[in-house]
Amino acid sequence: MEQAVIHKVFKTISYPGDSRRLAREVVDYLAGHIADADALHDLDIILTEACANVCRHAYGGSPGPLEVRLAVTPGQGVELEVVDWGKGFGSGVRFENPGPDSEGGRGLYIMRMLSNACQVLRRDGENVVVIHKDIGAAQWKN
Amino acid sequence: MEKLTIRRMNDVLLLKYAGEITLEITGDLKRHLEAELDEGDVRAVVIDLSGVPFMDSSGIGFLVSVNTRMRSSGKSFYLYQLSVPVQKTLGLVQLLDFFQVLQDEAGLNGLCG
Repeated sequence: MEQAVIHKVFKTISYPGDSRRLAREVVDYLAGHIADADALHDLDIILTEACANVCRHAYGGSPGPLEVRLAVTPGQGVELEVVDWGKGFGSGVRFENPGPDSEGGRGLYIMRMLSNACQVLRRDGENVVVIHKDIGAAQWKN
Repeated sequence: MEKLTIRRMNDVLLLKYAGEITLEITGDLKRHLEAELDEGDVRAVVIDLSGVPFMDSSGIGFLVSVNTRMRSSGKSFYLYQLSVPVQKTLGLVQLLDFFQVLQDEAGLNGLCG
């Protein structure tokens, strides 16, 4: 029987420490459903990168609202939307791995590598990074 | 930074940070390291990553920046005792072979000798 999707929203203001704490809060919640430590670590990195991007870029380096919308389909996967209301990515969306000497620009590449799908979009005044990660049936708690 | 320890062994600077390396702390780490380097007489920097349970791309950027600074001035930079999560993050961005890594205490002692 197909299980119902669980929706949950997490919010903070995008100070560096609070952005990381928000990512941890989401992962701690997911740990109530997902047993696999590697999958949880992947989700931790994905969320931390997405929230750090908001912190660094969305509001010109100033803090602003940051939201994570979570949809969990038990036994199947997780969809994350990381949302801000700042200036948006514009033409700066780059999913490639930069050269080894580059000090930045790896966040989206890491998110893409650890997920099954990752896209950046602007929707109704919101900047949204949508991430989908499949979680195999054996990786869930009962 | 109570989680940061800095030791000098001859002209080698050994930093160990026990905690997550993320955007929240990379600025402080950089400032502490630069203050030590400004005191001079450092031939090599070694960063011990054995106590790092989590590192994101800000941490990677920090390591790359130290590497660039040291090498551009003809000095050396090494990573030491990478934790499993750090290995995973560096592997993801294909930088495991980019940095010089000291594998064990013998390697560290040889450098500091």
